[in-house]
Amino acid sequence: MSSETFLSSIELCRYYHRGPQTVRALDGVTITVARGEFLSIVGSSGSGKTTLLNLLAGLDTPTAGVVELGGVPLTSMSRRQLSAYRAHKVGMIFQSFNLISHYTALQNVETALYFNGTAPNERRRLSTQILEQLGLADRMTHRPADLSGGEQQRVAVARAIVKSPEILFADEPTGNLDFENAEAIVNLLMKLNRDGLTIVLVTHNLEMAQHYTQRTIRMQYGRVIQSGSTKTAEQPLP
Amino acid sequence: MTLRDLIVISTGNLWRMKLRTLLTTSGVLIAIAAFVSMLSFGAGNQEQINNEFNKLGLFSTMQVYPKNKENISDTTTAAKLDQRALERLAAVPGVNIVYPYDAFSVTARLGDSVLSAKAQALPIAAVQTKLFSNLSAGGAFDSNNSHEAIISTDFVKKAGFTSPDSIIGKRLVLSVRVSVIDSGLAHILVDRGETVLDRIRRIHLDSLVNKEYRSKVLRGEVNETIRRFLNGFINAQSVVNDTLRVCGVRGPDRVGRMRIESIIIPASTAARFSSSGFGGNPSEIFSAMSSGTLFERTNDASGKTYSQVTIDFDPKVIYKSIRDSVEAMGFRTFSFAAEFEQIQRAFLYIDLALGVIGLIALLTASLGIVNTMVMSITERRREIGVLKSLGADELDIRWLFLVESGVIGILGTVAGILFGWTITRIVSAIAQAYMKNQGIPPVDVFALPAWLILIALSVGVGVSVVAGFYPAARAARVDAVEALRND
Ligand SMILES: Nc1ncnc2c1ncn2[C@@H]1O[C@H](COP(=O)(O)OP(=O)(O)O)[C@@H](O)[C@H]1O
Ligand SMILES: [Mg+2]
Repeated sequence: MSSETFLSSIELCRYYHRGPQTVRALDGVTITVARGEFLSIVGSSGSGKTTLLNLLAGLDTPTAGVVELGGVPLTSMSRRQLSAYRAHKVGMIFQSFNLISHYTALQNVETALYFNGTAPNERRRLSTQILEQLGLADRMTHRPADLSGGEQQRVAVARAIVKSPEILFADEPTGNLDFENAEAIVNLLMKLNRDGLTIVLVTHNLEMAQHYTQRTIRMQYGRVIQSGSTKTAEQPLP
Repeated sequence: MTLRDLIVISTGNLWRMKLRTLLTTSGVLIAIAAFVSMLSFGAGNQEQINNEFNKLGLFSTMQVYPKNKENISDTTTAAKLDQRALERLAAVPGVNIVYPYDAFSVTARLGDSVLSAKAQALPIAAVQTKLFSNLSAGGAFDSNNSHEAIISTDFVKKAGFTSPDSIIGKRLVLSVRVSVIDSGLAHILVDRGETVLDRIRRIHLDSLVNKEYRSKVLRGEVNETIRRFLNGFINAQSVVNDTLRVCGVRGPDRVGRMRIESIIIPASTAARFSSSGFGGNPSEIFSAMSSGTLFERTNDASGKTYSQVTIDFDPKVIYKSIRDSVEAMGFRTFSFAAEFEQIQRAFLYIDLALGVIGLIALLTASLGIVNTMVMSITERRREIGVLKSLGADELDIRWLFLVESGVIGILGTVAGILFGWTITRIVSAIAQAYMKNQGIPPVDVFALPAWLILIALSVGVGVSVVAGFYPAARAARVDAVEALRND
């Protein structure tokens, strides 16, 4: 495993103001994500996990602190550069899948290629290929409502990885799935990681995090409370 | 994102929301249909007038009149429209021909009808200009002294004929009652058997020292002399007859504001009537008196003056340059080209007024677009969030919404133009049927020129895109983090 730092946050803060009250969703978080690692962030609901992911993906701006991408602070980038960062380097999956309901599975995947300059005919080819790889060859023209939860999340994974991103942010991807489907998704993520993709997995399931990922960061009330290797001598699953 | 992507995505979205798209597009459609049909009416009328003017060559015709004296104390003599003036007018660059208005009263017999009318003398060159060459039957004269005549459709109708073609070749007998100065003068000397001497004998010479008596006698004598002259002039007329062949029938007597007489005869043929004396109309003698030509020899053309002269000029020459040259010679002018400029200005105002009504309708329709688009932002918040998480920039989102309202605009405008055109076709068909029924020659008062289509397209699409600005800006500002939240 390479120890090259891909992404890091330094004293990252994100406060929300609710009337006179200040909600410290994130309160001084310093972490690093190494290229090629499978990192998990664990914490109970409301601990600031999603807030952290959004900041790392450049979708949100911090109240204080910085996110650095290969040494370059995201705050120094223009709005367009941040969009380009997401379009080219970032894949995201969500607990509630967030598929576009009126698009077919194939169209949902193709949408990810609108913004990174992929030629139209390439878009179709790549999307078809990725859906076939994920075992969705006979689901391409289905709309999300006609797919099971597991299938929907696989379409979402296909959409996230079709552009060959450098990092994948997964925000509780198994939260809405039954055990079998959840396991299938996590196994899929592990396979992608083995193929070289950097993954940050957010979950409230400490057991799952420790079982599958290389390193776990525990969060509480917007702070990191524990960080460390979970399986020092773990060998990749066969 | 390419424009093609944007169009594919937008049309997909619009297609999904069929009813809403239909309603929003209908707003634009109705507004553009109103805009197009109203302006089409303006354009149609304009085209109609333009054609009429062009057909008759009115754009290349100018009337010239002698100047009225502005006040009596003006001692400068007004430029006379005489033979010399005609030659100078003909020399103005761009002028094709110059011919005077030369008309006299005649009694005309055509078939069984005897009508009093006016005959106008025209040189053959004038008859060949657009103004006279547009004949509904027959053709022009052979030469300046052929015994032929061109008559108007009005005259044909008055004479009791229905078809202009049946008239061609018919005999037209013109008689002019000609008075001569001599008969007037003779009657001053002897009238009703009373000689001048008889009258002088009745004057009390010794009472002429009385001032009142003197002026009474003088007034009486002047009155009596004029009465005697006119009596002789009008009653002792001779009649000149000529038999002509009808060679052509032209349109109605009136062309715009210009009157063309019912009977047109070749110039030299006409000269034989007028050289015999004055026509039967007493006003002609007064006009001769006032212009000081009463006792000039009437067959001497160089002394004759005219009340109106027509200039036919090269249509490629700007009428203003000719008008300026003619007015510099001291004449008044009237030209349809000048008139037409005013008509066009009036049409511009009408078009503007109609256009504003259409624009108001379009503004209402654009509010429909704004409403639809703003509603769709609320529904598509999550979609916008997803697109942003996938790397869509605010600009991409903005374009997506702008193209969507643009597509509504294009669909509505194209359909509106077609619908508006259909309306004008239906109304035109009804109007033409009505005109035919009323005996008016049916004309199409609607036109759809290319410029109108272009204006409608740019206004319709333009207003729709502008209506999309606000919703697009709002869509672009949707907070992705909020939109992607789980709840
Ligand atoms: N837009 C917001 N306005 C106010 N409070 C917010 C907002 N977004 C998140 N929070 C608060 O910030 C904290 C962290 O939220 P979140 O990052 O979603 O937690 P997690 O993903 O770990 O459940 C929570 O207490 C949440 O209520
Ligand atoms: Mg969360």
